[in-house]
Amino acid sequence: MLRRIEQILKDQKEISGYKICEDRIESSELFFVKKNVDMDRAKNVVHYKVTVYVDYEENGSKFKGSATTNVDPTMDDNEIRNVIGEAAFASKFVKNPYYPITKAVASYKAMPESKYSKESMSYWMNEITKAVYKNDVYEKGGINSCEIFLNKISTHIINSEGVDAKSVRYEGMVEFIVTWKEEGDEIELYRCLNFSDFDPEVLSGEVKTMIQIAREKAIAKNTPALMNSPVIFTREAVKDIFGFYYSKSKAESIYNKYSTWEIGEQIQGENIKGDLITMSLDPFLHNSTAAASFDEDGFPLEPVNIIEQGILKKYMANTRYAHYLEVDTTGTILNMVVNGGSKTLEELKQEPHIEAAAFSDFTVDNLSGDFCGEIRLAWYFDGEKTVPITGGSISGNINELQHELYLSKERMKDNTYEGPKALKFMNVTIAGVE
Amino acid sequence: MKAVMSDFLVSSKPLVRKLIDRLSKTYSYVSVLGTDTKGKSYVVSKTAIEVKDIIFAERGFVVRIHNGVNYSEYSFNEISEEGLDQIVEEINNKIGKVARIIPANSYEVIEEEAIKQSLFGDIEINPEEISSMEIIHNLTEVKDLALQRSELIANVHVVYNSYHISKIYMSGKKDLEQSYFLGEAFISCVARKAEKTKRYFKSLSGNKGYEIVSKLKDMALEIVDQSIALLDAKPAKPGVYDVICAPDITGLIAHEAFGHGVEMDMFVKNRAKGAEYVGKPVASNISTMHDGAVAADHMASYLFDDEGTLGKDTIVIKDGILQTGISDLLSALKLGTVPTGNGRRQSFERKAYARMTNTFFEGGKDKLEDMIASIKQGYLLEGTFSGMEDPKNWGIQCIALLGKEIIDGKLTGKLISPVVMTGYVPDLLKSITMVSETVELGGAGFCGKGYKEYVKVSDGGPYIKAKVRLG
Repeated sequence: MLRRIEQILKDQKEISGYKICEDRIESSELFFVKKNVDMDRAKNVVHYKVTVYVDYEENGSKFKGSATTNVDPTMDDNEIRNVIGEAAFASKFVKNPYYPITKAVASYKAMPESKYSKESMSYWMNEITKAVYKNDVYEKGGINSCEIFLNKISTHIINSEGVDAKSVRYEGMVEFIVTWKEEGDEIELYRCLNFSDFDPEVLSGEVKTMIQIAREKAIAKNTPALMNSPVIFTREAVKDIFGFYYSKSKAESIYNKYSTWEIGEQIQGENIKGDLITMSLDPFLHNSTAAASFDEDGFPLEPVNIIEQGILKKYMANTRYAHYLEVDTTGTILNMVVNGGSKTLEELKQEPHIEAAAFSDFTVDNLSGDFCGEIRLAWYFDGEKTVPITGGSISGNINELQHELYLSKERMKDNTYEGPKALKFMNVTIAGVE
Repeated sequence: MKAVMSDFLVSSKPLVRKLIDRLSKTYSYVSVLGTDTKGKSYVVSKTAIEVKDIIFAERGFVVRIHNGVNYSEYSFNEISEEGLDQIVEEINNKIGKVARIIPANSYEVIEEEAIKQSLFGDIEINPEEISSMEIIHNLTEVKDLALQRSELIANVHVVYNSYHISKIYMSGKKDLEQSYFLGEAFISCVARKAEKTKRYFKSLSGNKGYEIVSKLKDMALEIVDQSIALLDAKPAKPGVYDVICAPDITGLIAHEAFGHGVEMDMFVKNRAKGAEYVGKPVASNISTMHDGAVAADHMASYLFDDEGTLGKDTIVIKDGILQTGISDLLSALKLGTVPTGNGRRQSFERKAYARMTNTFFEGGKDKLEDMIASIKQGYLLEGTFSGMEDPKNWGIQCIALLGKEIIDGKLTGKLISPVVMTGYVPDLLKSITMVSETVELGGAGFCGKGYKEYVKVSDGGPYIKAKVRLG
């Protein structure tokens, strides 16, 4: 099918170039209620995404139009010609400045094989299930429901410049709800784990941690009306906050005016009191669903440092935006690695503070830097004792708080993120319940 | 004009029937959902133009079988006469076995009534007959109009998405087909002054064709002005306030506060507090809330859901009393209730869950000006940014783009942003004291179940006056 589509593209005289991305996906899926399987599913699908490019000139300026269309495997040649013809026609009116298409390379770095390639999908579904339920052993709480997905994805990208990139990767996902009941109402918490290799300790450990957090939430008191407090962010919220720095460092964000960051700029502002951020992007991060040796254009990837000691060193740029900004092409890399900070977790907890463990939905607006979330569980340390709290919200703006942030020395790994386990902002707004 | 059914699906029906017949020799229940959704997404901004297929574009099939204990499903997107044997083999080999190996919940075999029905939606202008040149030209005009308004505008995105959805549902007794269009368009404006950057956006959506784009120009300048005004907005001072929720925020509350909480797959999992409150008061007695594919003509209106159940109008809350939940087919089977036509999938590749459709509060008798005049100190909240459900514990998190300050019954012109609304759902719903007359629905965003399974929905209602905690 891939070559059939390519031949039809080659027959289109009005286009200047093309890219075809083929994804073959086999999946196995289990849906549990408590410990019982409620449904099983499987899929076997193939998708083709075709981008056509049309180069043209107007008033002495070069432009590259493009349009992307799906080609379904059940389409006959006439249908394929029609959708490609429509995309080619649309491209003539897409007036974007010229950029080159990614060129072919001799080879791509070999990725380590996932353990999932060694046995059948059904074998691994059983192993994942055993790991997930290993610590579901408590009387007052445990896993309420759980969904387990394992996808084998075979990708093949070709383009008109000779790019020919292939990979086979695995994407695992476990989404689970834990509950706990003390004297009041039973409470629940949500967690979703994404991974590309089998690590039973991570799966069972995370379930255990979530059950412990649920137990704390079940006895939590209302969040006090503090108005402002230092807040220690942990777990997914740390990754979400660093997502702001990742987003602002993208050449695409600069070009589209979503970020004003300049190379060499101290991005944390002036008079910095706390830790300075150092962030790199690692395409080969172990057990990440985004680990890859090439990006969506087939550009070969290598690790790259983008922020060092709070100074922006490099933009993350794919072929198009690197050309626009006249910077090095890094390719699109989705894994963040952040250096640890100056203090241990214990040291971060010396002063009165709130330590946030779980939000309803921690939201960071990567454009404005605004963040907020309803507290599902946090611990409040008033200088003497620590109590679990729930309800109300935490909010602030990264731009206004980042001049004094502290990062833990201790590190964590969560799919596409590896870095400090905790991040502390000093003057965060708290909407308490009492 | 009437939507035309997908040729591909129509021509596939004999093959699908053969597949059902083959599988029915082994399994006591077999159904097939076939989908063919086409559509284009056009984005025109200050810096780029993009044309691509909509993210919900799909073409494929999902087979559901009763495996002797419960249900199993298999999704595929290649079908041919010569390939039928392989599909049957894959179904026999890959699904339906696990329930015999590990503990499983059992489900009865679905009893279906014989139904043969079809629906072909109606729109004014078929987007498939408008050339990409014209669409890009029209969106560019709107973009240019917005950019000319102020130098504070860093970027403007003008977006038009068209959807042409075709589905068939076939089983032993059912033969259903539907084809209809959806449309959505929005303008998102980014304003910047010194170090501060703010965004404001507004959308149009519905069972519409290309006619929706003609209204964008009327919205453009208001969106630009609001994004610039947001540059001077202050964060909300944490506290409990009297507020008026604009229809989009009323819809956000309906959706997050109560809609997710009455999805009845949550009842099966004992994840919904709502299950304990059926027949009990959960909102003020001037609150009535609906959900249903035929409750309104909007983004989630259809003849049948993704499990072949005909859509309904479900009254979830009547005069403040919780009446019932909304249900997919399997949850209804488990609970012994009647399915409400809310079994929906992100695509043929995903499981069906109990999902909202068009969810909204009914209108009341109050005038907006009287509602504003009744507030001594509070805010008029508008612009949906995001929300998150908490069906088990009835917490609520809704984020609005802005709040307009009201002092002594008058709008002062001052804004707060961002606005985080939190609280306990019944407290919020019982605090509703005034409800305006006109109901407005919107549906340009997506609804997820947790952080996945995205489907198109609409939600809305009238302006409501309530008491909420802001942060």
